[in-house]
Amino acid sequence: MGVAQAGAGDVSAPARPAEPLTIDVSVLPDAAFGHRGLTWWATVAFMAIEASTLLACLGALVYLRTNTTQWPPAPYAPPDVAPFAANVVLLLGKLWPFGRAEAAAKRLDEAGVRRWMLIGTLWGLVCVVLRGFELAALDVRWDDDAYGSAVWAVSVAHTSLLVTDLLESAAITAIFFLTHPQPRHFSDVEDSALYERFLSISWAVLAAALVLAPRLP
Amino acid sequence: MSVARRARGLAAAPLLLAGCSLNRFQSALDPAGTQASRIERLWWLAPALAAPAYPLTMAALAVATGRRGRAPALPRVEPSPAAERRATRWVAAATGATVVVLFVFLAADLFTGRALLALGRGGDRPLHVRVTGVQWWWRVEYRDPAPGRSMTTANELRIPVGRPVVLELETEDVIHSFWVPALHGKRDHVPGRHNTLTLRADRPGVYRGQCAEYCGLQHAKMGIDVVAMPPRAFDAWYAGQLADAAPPADSLRAEGMRAFLSGPCAACHAVRGTPASAQSGPDLTHVASRRSLAAGTLPNTRGHLAGWIVDPQSLKPGTYMPPNDLPAPALRALLAYVEGLR
Amino acid sequence: MTAVAEAPADAGATRAPTERERLERTWADPPGLWGWLTTVDHKRIAARYVVTAFVFFALGGIDALVMRTQLAVPEGRVVDPDRYAQLFTVHGTNMMFLFAVPVMLAVGLYMVPLMVGARNVAFPRLNALGYWAYLAGGTLLWASLLLNTGPDQGWFSYVPLALSEYSPGKRVDVWAQMITFTEISGLISAVEIVVTVLKCRAPGMTLARMPIFVWAMFVTAMMVLPSLAVIATASQMLAMDRLVDTHFFDVDRGGDAILWQHLFWWFGHPEVYIVFLPGTGFVSAVLPAFTRRQVFGYPAVVMATIATGFLGFGVWVHHMFVSGVLHQAGSFFTAASVLITIPTAVQIFCWIATIWTGRPRFGVPFLFVLGFFATFIVGGLTGVMLASIPLDQQVHDSYFVVAHLHYVLLGGGVFPLFAAVYYWFPKWTGRMLGERLGKAHFWLWFVGVQLTFFPMHLLGLAGMPRRVYTYLDGLGWNGLNATATVGAWVLALSVAAFAFNVVHALRRGARADADPWGADTLEWATPSPPPPYNFERPPVVQGRAALWSRTPDAPVVVGLSTERREILVTTAYDAEPDHRHRDPDPSIWPFVTALSVSVFFVALMFTPWAVVSGSALLLPPLLAWGWPKRERAT
Repeated sequence: MGVAQAGAGDVSAPARPAEPLTIDVSVLPDAAFGHRGLTWWATVAFMAIEASTLLACLGALVYLRTNTTQWPPAPYAPPDVAPFAANVVLLLGKLWPFGRAEAAAKRLDEAGVRRWMLIGTLWGLVCVVLRGFELAALDVRWDDDAYGSAVWAVSVAHTSLLVTDLLESAAITAIFFLTHPQPRHFSDVEDSALYERFLSISWAVLAAALVLAPRLP
Repeated sequence: MSVARRARGLAAAPLLLAGCSLNRFQSALDPAGTQASRIERLWWLAPALAAPAYPLTMAALAVATGRRGRAPALPRVEPSPAAERRATRWVAAATGATVVVLFVFLAADLFTGRALLALGRGGDRPLHVRVTGVQWWWRVEYRDPAPGRSMTTANELRIPVGRPVVLELETEDVIHSFWVPALHGKRDHVPGRHNTLTLRADRPGVYRGQCAEYCGLQHAKMGIDVVAMPPRAFDAWYAGQLADAAPPADSLRAEGMRAFLSGPCAACHAVRGTPASAQSGPDLTHVASRRSLAAGTLPNTRGHLAGWIVDPQSLKPGTYMPPNDLPAPALRALLAYVEGLR
Repeated sequence: MTAVAEAPADAGATRAPTERERLERTWADPPGLWGWLTTVDHKRIAARYVVTAFVFFALGGIDALVMRTQLAVPEGRVVDPDRYAQLFTVHGTNMMFLFAVPVMLAVGLYMVPLMVGARNVAFPRLNALGYWAYLAGGTLLWASLLLNTGPDQGWFSYVPLALSEYSPGKRVDVWAQMITFTEISGLISAVEIVVTVLKCRAPGMTLARMPIFVWAMFVTAMMVLPSLAVIATASQMLAMDRLVDTHFFDVDRGGDAILWQHLFWWFGHPEVYIVFLPGTGFVSAVLPAFTRRQVFGYPAVVMATIATGFLGFGVWVHHMFVSGVLHQAGSFFTAASVLITIPTAVQIFCWIATIWTGRPRFGVPFLFVLGFFATFIVGGLTGVMLASIPLDQQVHDSYFVVAHLHYVLLGGGVFPLFAAVYYWFPKWTGRMLGERLGKAHFWLWFVGVQLTFFPMHLLGLAGMPRRVYTYLDGLGWNGLNATATVGAWVLALSVAAFAFNVVHALRRGARADADPWGADTLEWATPSPPPPYNFERPPVVQGRAALWSRTPDAPVVVGLSTERREILVTTAYDAEPDHRHRDPDPSIWPFVTALSVSVFFVALMFTPWAVVSGSALLLPPLLAWGWPKRERAT
């Protein structure tokens, strides 16, 4: 990555004994993808924050489990598998349109980004709707007992991220449809694809903790 | 440990003097119990180990700061490689010494911890007492498995010298912490958990304790007296406490008892042997035999008792004991009755 | 390297006579109130943070002074127990959440970009939002105290005392929402620092050449992410237990009181290092200028800082030794708590070696560094005692702990902070703080700290629990309490001397040039105070001590636009120039967003439906914030 251009001094008489060398950065690009860019690192940092939040909720659930012999405590049944399985599949499947959008963004292919971001956003909308069915399948209210509080904490924490993320992809899609996108918006698409992976995979883990863990012998 | 003992007199002398001279009944440095003594021994190891560390570091700092005297500051110092190597050796040596000292301390700590755990197993014929923290007083229940040998009192824990006492720490509301420094370290009363604390007093005396976990408005005035008695005296006291309250000895006290039972007192307090059996306030069956009132807050005298009954809010603002605006004769009778509850 | 876009020919090669003027024009804030509300200059925002944090420091100090006056004599009657409970809760909450952590991150937000040779932080608008959220949280706490609805359950809000049953009313809700505000602000600051350090360093500033202060802020910011995220979550659980009848902590319904303690101290102990590591950074920043040499043992000090960051997450259970949990696992946490002293000891020995082999001069910052050694080490030693389960059983929750934590936080945090303020004040304002007043400030502070807090060790050993609004006569505590109260007034005098020094220096202080101390890091390569764009020509770094190793023909960076705000992004490890990044212009939307957030959180104290209305309120400003503005042709 040695792009530093030590060029001849192109400045006028500085008060220095020797003419300073200069590194001319005007030849460098004005946007970059992936870990070269600033927003990628911010996305990673926010993922670390959100992972901590989700883990705190999950930790509370696991901790509370140690207090009872039966899990879930009577009279509650473990959540229905179906809606959770469906949404985990759907969320992991959502990575496909976002992957295509990411590839399009790397080619600076505006039309491709528009198409795949729109599909990804609509797909995300379906996931949010399905999340409603997941919540309904929990078979316990948050104010019933601590078990209910903890499973709702896990679910709501993830749902709030899911909804925020849906709004964000909708906004990026809108920017691509309504304005002339700037280079940084292409890298936003890539960061958005990264974040989608975090969201989908984290739900696979959390859903397993909610649905499968209580069924383990 | 002998090093610690010796160092105790030298290095930590100022701390020792200051710490011990404050009081002889609520100090961790004036132990009267097996556990507290154990902790105190470890306690003195810490300053004994720290004692050289702190002055040595400070001395190094002083020399480092002063060794150039008032030499004019140079634009920059480029220490010679030899000087840097010397400094590296000193830093490495100091770090090594720190590690060694810390490991000595760690070993002593684990040793003490184990000893305390072993003592915590109770030994022979432990006395079982349930101590329940309530905002802002202590319910004390002696739990003897023999029928008719259990009884309830409050804010005063009497124990026989030399016999292990297992305290079952419960709470009726928030977290409290039982701490009688002269006998042992503290342990929390946590809702939903059943903590125990085992202690043994080695010499007779009165040791004061206070709730150590913030528990609301009157956390500051949630004290307890622990009275360690020779076993015989303890047995006599115990027999007295098992008995119901004696019937009023004269007409004034009889009148006071009527006031007690018909007034607000009986709504919260119990006096065994009378219809009063409410449990939300301290049991008063033998209240007059206790050393203090209002959870280790007031000496148990007639004046304080009167003040406490009439206007508890000014003595302990926020306490759940309501003020009692009694006419003077009724108050006099009530005081006589309560003072008779020996 | 893969080029993303064909970089259009830029106006970077303009001639020098107009270059500075163009930079001035491009980076200037709009004038007046509008500029004040819309600025995204990291220096203006950080300065605001620092000033606000010191105001909270003074308020928290006054609060403590009232408490100490109450405790001067047994059965004091200055305040009633209800007011006292609010005072000690607000004091602790304020000093931790509104002073110690924010002020450290704020100095980082000011100095890190300058020390790494950047023009701004990585995300300037987000940075502005962070400040406004912080201001809202602080205002909420102090307004509630004035309205007699200040939190009164202690700064760690143990349940069940903090649940509705024992704390009805809104006092605890104020605490929980204040936490949310300040954690948003803290997390934002941490993200800023992490990304600025990794991606905005001057060409040539490899990780191995990064100033130790920057390392310290980096590790601190990394610690902030997982710890503050968890306390924000926990405080929401507490708020929900109170608002919508969840039962996380309700024992009768399957909840657990100890769960709160785990969640709280998972944050609470790293918090101490979040305050202390920047303190070590200040010491490492000040020492070279005052000993005329680089800090001895750079690799050891940096490794110690990183090790502390990791170990800091392994010790939280030592706050729960008397809760009666984890008898067996206890030894592990004792060992971790004892071992964490080792990296700190290494740092202390390296600093002493620095002084030993250097040429110390007694400026005020250096005095405060010496005060740091003398005070902090006491706190470190008592910390080792607290790590021991048997000893902790005696002194836990007693005044011994009060003494310990003040020795650690004042010694390890505030002494270095004062050193840093005296050291960087000329950079921030272009004026020197007074030397004689500074020395008076130092000595009063040093004596005051010892006088106030040393006696508390003995009080704790003599059985005095913390958080008592009064104590009985005859317990032998009177003399030491009176001494501590005298000390508190000495501290007040010291802070007054400091405040006077600042005000006086701002108006009449000696002018400072770019580098009044002859120091070694990049912030001294630009005028005092720095221009909005920080460096006319971003510097290039040739060695660890950037200025001392600079050759006369040191290269500089050219080619960043002067027509629009542009910053140079470099590679994370080697700091090689990578691309130019469009830095955002001033914007009102962070401020508006913060207003919406404030309405949201305050409403959330009263009704869960605030989630709906709050989201509706938040959407427009966020959309306006992110929506691309039509760019001038580039």
